[in-house]
Amino acid sequence: MKIVRFIVALILTAAPLAAHDMWIEPTSFLPDAGKVIGVKLRIGQDFLGDPLPRDPALIDQFISVDSSGRKPVYGHDGADPAGLVRVADSSLLILGYQSHPKPITLPAATFNQYLKEEGLDAIAELRTRRNQTNSEAREIFERCAKSLVRYGTPANGQADRALGFTLELVAEKNPYTLHAGEDLPVSLMYEGRALPGALVVAMNRSNPMSKISARTDKTGHVKLRLPEDGVWLVKAVHMIPAPAGSNADWASFWASLTFEVGK
Amino acid sequence: MKLAICCAIVLMILSSAVCDAHEIGTTRVTAVFQQSTSYEIEIVTDAAALVEKLETLSGESIQSGLDAAALQKQLQAHDSLFRRRFALTFDGTAVQPEIHYAVAGIATATSSPVATITMAGGLPAGAKQFAWTYAWTFATYSLTVRETGAERTEWLEGGQVSAPMSLALSAHTPDRIATGFRYLALGFTHIVPNGLDHMLFVLGIFLLSRRLREVLTQVSAFTIAHSITLALSVYGIVSVSPKVVEPLIAVSIAYVAIENIFMSELRPWRVALVFAFGLLHGMGFAGALKDLGLPRSEFVIALATFNVGVEAGQLAVIAAAFLLVGWYCGRRHWYRRLVVVPASVLIACMAAYWTVQRLYFVS
Repeated sequence: MKIVRFIVALILTAAPLAAHDMWIEPTSFLPDAGKVIGVKLRIGQDFLGDPLPRDPALIDQFISVDSSGRKPVYGHDGADPAGLVRVADSSLLILGYQSHPKPITLPAATFNQYLKEEGLDAIAELRTRRNQTNSEAREIFERCAKSLVRYGTPANGQADRALGFTLELVAEKNPYTLHAGEDLPVSLMYEGRALPGALVVAMNRSNPMSKISARTDKTGHVKLRLPEDGVWLVKAVHMIPAPAGSNADWASFWASLTFEVGK
Repeated sequence: MKLAICCAIVLMILSSAVCDAHEIGTTRVTAVFQQSTSYEIEIVTDAAALVEKLETLSGESIQSGLDAAALQKQLQAHDSLFRRRFALTFDGTAVQPEIHYAVAGIATATSSPVATITMAGGLPAGAKQFAWTYAWTFATYSLTVRETGAERTEWLEGGQVSAPMSLALSAHTPDRIATGFRYLALGFTHIVPNGLDHMLFVLGIFLLSRRLREVLTQVSAFTIAHSITLALSVYGIVSVSPKVVEPLIAVSIAYVAIENIFMSELRPWRVALVFAFGLLHGMGFAGALKDLGLPRSEFVIALATFNVGVEAGQLAVIAAAFLLVGWYCGRRHWYRRLVVVPASVLIACMAAYWTVQRLYFVS
C-alpha cells in the first residue's frame, strides 16, 4: 500500500501539463428500467478523475447507441454530468464521446516520460532519430471515449460495436456476461482499421494501481484477463506525426472503454 | 444556482484564452484580499472526486455513493493530507491557513455534491506578492484574485505554480474617492449592461405611463425600497435565500409587464407593489455586492456609492428608453398599441422564462 501511496503522490505532484486519460463514467452502469442516467466525463490518471463539464467547442460526437439506433446525448453546456440519457431499451447501451483535436505544449522531459508511460515506443524512437529528445513537444490530442451500460438481462448476442471514432476500443464480448477471472477480448482500431502493436491497459476502480496490460496482435486484438469484479477502465493511446498545417509536431488519440463486471 | 454555475463555466470557457492546455474542469479558486490585513481563499470543487483522491492516497479503499455529510466528514478527516498538495505563499514563504470544509448537494443523475473549502488567515505584515499552487485536480482550473472590487483571473493546471501576483492594491490604504468611484461604476454596470432582469423591470415601469410624474413616482418608490433592503441585507439584518429572491424578482418583472398590457394609468396599488418589488430587488443587489466583496474600512462609502451607481444605471435605462421611443412616439395614438403592448408581452415572456428557469433549473 505504501507503494500505491507513493505512486499517487508522484502523480499528484507531477509536473503540470502531463498527459491525462479521459473516460466516461455513467452515474449507473446498471440502471433500472426507464431511468435517466448522467453521463459524466472524467479527466485524470489511474482512474482518479476530475469532472469535465460539457464544452460545446470540444464535442465532435457525443452519442448513445442501442438496438434502436444512434442518438445524440443532450445536456446543458457547462454542466457536469455532461449529458443525460434515458435507458429505454433492453440491451447494451453504448455511450460515445469524441472530441475535436485540442493543442497542448509539453516540456521535453514531461513528453518523453509520457511516451514511455503510454508505450509509444515508435514515437520515442522517431524523436531520438530526429534529435528532438530535448525539444518541447507541440501536440494536438483527440479523445475517443466509450462506455457500456447494461439494462435488462445480459446476453451474448448484445455486443459492443465500432462507432467510427478515430481510435476505438471495441469489446468483442459483452462484459456483462463476464465474471472475475475471465478473458475479455478487445480490438483496437485506428481510422477503421486494426491497429497492431499498441499498448492496451486495463484497471479496476477499486484497485487502479494494479494494471493489466498487453499489446495488440497483428490483427489489432488483445485478450485481457480481468481478475476482479467491479468497474473497469480499458485505455489505449496512439500517436502519429501531426499532419501538415496543424501547427503541431504530434497528433495523439486517446481511446477508453468503461464497463462493470460481475453484476 | 446550478444553472448559474453552468453559465459561468461556459462563459469562462468561451472567454478564456486557455487553448494550449488540458480541458477545463469544474474546480474554481477565488482569493479575496481584505485591505492589508487578511485573506480568504475559497476552493469550489467536486466533492466525490477530491475524496476519492484523498482515500486512495491514504491507502483506504474508495467508498462510492457517499452523501454530502459523509463526504464532508472524509474531507475533515484528511485535513493534514489535503494540506500537502496546495501551497499558499506570500513573498516566497508558505503559510498555513485555517481551513473549513463544507459539502452540499446530492448525487443524482444531474448533480453531484460540491465541496467548498475555505482557507482564511491574516496577511503577513508588508506582504507584497502572493503565489498559489493546487495539485488536487488533473484539469485546468481558474484562480480569481479579488482586491477591493478589482478582479483578475489566471488559468492554471493542477500542480502548476501561479505567477507571483502583486498585492499592490491591498498593500496601501485605499483612497476613499477611488473606492467611491469604483463602487459607483460597479453599481452602474450591475444594471447596464449586466442586469438584464433589472433593466426589463425598469423598462416595465417606464412603459406604463407617458406622464413623467407617474414614472418618477414609481422609480422613487422602487429606489427607496431597494435602498432599504440592500443596506439591511448587507449588514446581515435581513437574510433571504437567493432561491426565494431570484424567482420572485422574475415574477415581479412578469407582473409589471402583464399589468402594462391591461392598464394605462398609475393606480395606488401599483406604487405599493413597485415598492414591494423594490424590496426584493434590493436583496438581489445585496447578493451581487457581497459577491464583489466589500472593503471593511470603506464599508459605508462602498455601500452608498454602489446604491447610487445602481440608481444611475436605472435612470440611464429610462433616459435611453425615452430618447429611443418615448420622446418621438410617446404622444402618438399608436404608441400604446404598437410599442407598449408588444414590448410588455416580450418582457412578460422573458420574465416567465426566468421564473421557470430560476424555480426549476437553478438549485
